[in-house]
Amino acid sequence: MKLPIILCEIALPLLYFATIWVYARAFFSNIRPAERLSTPLLFATLLTHGFYIVMRTAELRHPPITSVFEIFSLMAFTVTLVYACIEWRLKIKSTGYFILILPFFFQLVSSIFIREVSEVPPILQSNLLGFHVSSALLGYAAITISAVYGFLYLMLYHEIKFSRFGVVYKRLPNLEMLERMSFTATLFGFIFLTIAIIAGIVWLPRITQEVSYTDPKLFGTFVIWLIYGAGLAAKRLRHWQGRRMMVLSVFGFATAMFSMTVINIFLSGFHKFY
Amino acid sequence: MNFFCLGINHRTAPLETREKLWFSEKEIQSVVPSLRQKQINDCVLVSTCNRTELYYTTREGSANGEPLWKRLAEHKQAVGAVREEHLYSIPSLNAVKHLFNVASGIDSMVLGDIQIVSQIRDAYAIARSLSATGAVTNRIFDTALRVAKRARTETEISEGAVSLSYAAAELSSKIFSDLSKRTALLIGSGETGKLTAKHLVGKNIGTLLLANRTRQHAEDLAALLRGRVVDFDRIAAELEAVDIVISSVDAPSYILSEQDLRRAMKLRGARPLFIIDIGVPRNIDPAANSIESVFLHNLDTLNFVIGKNLRRRASEVPKIRRIILGELIQFNRWHASLEANPTIEELRGRLEEIRRQEVEHHLRRFSPDEREEIEVLTKRIVNKILHTPTISLKNGSDTHQTLRDKISLLRHLFGLDRRNSG
Repeated sequence: MKLPIILCEIALPLLYFATIWVYARAFFSNIRPAERLSTPLLFATLLTHGFYIVMRTAELRHPPITSVFEIFSLMAFTVTLVYACIEWRLKIKSTGYFILILPFFFQLVSSIFIREVSEVPPILQSNLLGFHVSSALLGYAAITISAVYGFLYLMLYHEIKFSRFGVVYKRLPNLEMLERMSFTATLFGFIFLTIAIIAGIVWLPRITQEVSYTDPKLFGTFVIWLIYGAGLAAKRLRHWQGRRMMVLSVFGFATAMFSMTVINIFLSGFHKFY
Repeated sequence: MNFFCLGINHRTAPLETREKLWFSEKEIQSVVPSLRQKQINDCVLVSTCNRTELYYTTREGSANGEPLWKRLAEHKQAVGAVREEHLYSIPSLNAVKHLFNVASGIDSMVLGDIQIVSQIRDAYAIARSLSATGAVTNRIFDTALRVAKRARTETEISEGAVSLSYAAAELSSKIFSDLSKRTALLIGSGETGKLTAKHLVGKNIGTLLLANRTRQHAEDLAALLRGRVVDFDRIAAELEAVDIVISSVDAPSYILSEQDLRRAMKLRGARPLFIIDIGVPRNIDPAANSIESVFLHNLDTLNFVIGKNLRRRASEVPKIRRIILGELIQFNRWHASLEANPTIEELRGRLEEIRRQEVEHHLRRFSPDEREEIEVLTKRIVNKILHTPTISLKNGSDTHQTLRDKISLLRHLFGLDRRNSG
């Protein structure tokens, strides 16, 4: 494997660690230089990670979806990408630490265990599958972020309601802003999950003659999509907001985690490749 | 350094004395020129509700404070009211340090209150417009304003609310991000309630509603704060539309029950309702805090927030003292160099003259190439001789007297004064 890819695998966990350290310093100690440094470091990490994914795809001639550890790296990248978009759009940095800790662990595990798969099944070399998986991961990354904001909202909600004015109260943006951030992430997530489902439906008949729409993972994803769709509809039509929406966001994420772990591990279907 | 501070503040004099020595901008403009006639070079008069301080430089070395404060007291017709024990006089570098303390907010009555910065800036601007400041005073005040900026940006000395009304407004901004789209309801006309409403207006609250048992009181306040009056009996009905409630009513029992709020929240959906109950006894049933999306706070909460913020501010004081120390050292170096510069220049001129005479005297003995080398070599020797005394004079760690002794000794040893008079 080419040297730049190996170097990126070593550098990425370090870069993620440096980024969350800087965000943590800015959040817990309110150190201004750390706050100034945080966004440039985030974008440097994101660019390095993007470069790594492109290099790896070009070198190995398949999208980085052939092993769990490639998926982990892609997941780290998508979470960071979605967070960077939200930070850039809303100009709020104080939640970065809580989000970026996830990609750090994903990338750390990926960098330690990732190996080049000697024989990649033709099915996993499909670019349409790459698009389907990337969209799904972007969707999951966004709903993960939405849930983190939901969780932060609930923490701040309790601090204000019960007069516990700690560091969360001091540093986090206000409840309305956290709700907006969670909603933005949910919207991202719903759009990408929709794209992933459509790409999957187009791709599915190309790989198997016996199309099974009762596949547990397909079913699980559809349930997640329905939960988020119902939440967005409730917000639009029934004016749901505040704590109720945040609880729904955390519940949607828990369902997604259940789908990604329990269903993926214990229930087999055509969706299981490794 | 002939720089002094003569003043009166919240620690040395009661309010009734301080207010007698309070100067408006107009009064400062008229009193400063008259002070400068009394052996005063530079003169900046800072006056706020908590302090009146005169920063000045004298032509002689002594503070000469008595005629100055008498002049100030005469100007305000407060000669009998202001006594000597109310005043303090701080000389030299300590006066500079005191100004830095004041500008940074660590000498304020409410720790971290930085309103004083704009008052110092204004006083300095007035003095400059009257040509009442020189190089040293300009440098001191420019540095003081820099200290204030650094204190504000590098520390948290002025963060967090430290008054009841501001704490209430700050709490509301932790729930809502854009107050211009929100509606607040002020019930009653207690002083803290009014101030909180004023803060909310200052934060650009969208709509302000006012309710009072005496409708005229509400209407007077509505005219002042550009609010709208609602009937006191319709408070519970208004809860559906408002986002913030400030209640400050003198009432023997609750004016809003838990049931009132439950009914309102059913109509509101999950829209948060922030309530500040400043009434004693309390105006709102505390059980209402158990309702989802109702944030009910009272005086205890606000006092808790203030206490916490004050402790946080106090923990920032050592950082500010470090900033002040650094700026003081830099200022002192600059000031020392100011006094030593003419002597250093004269000494350089004297040595350069000796060097040039000796080189010219012996130049014929050397070839053109060697002459150039001789020039470089002798100049280097002069620079090396000058290096140690220059550093010694400019290091800024000497007292004023030691520096003067050093300069005097140097001038005597190298015959600089004799040469000038000759």
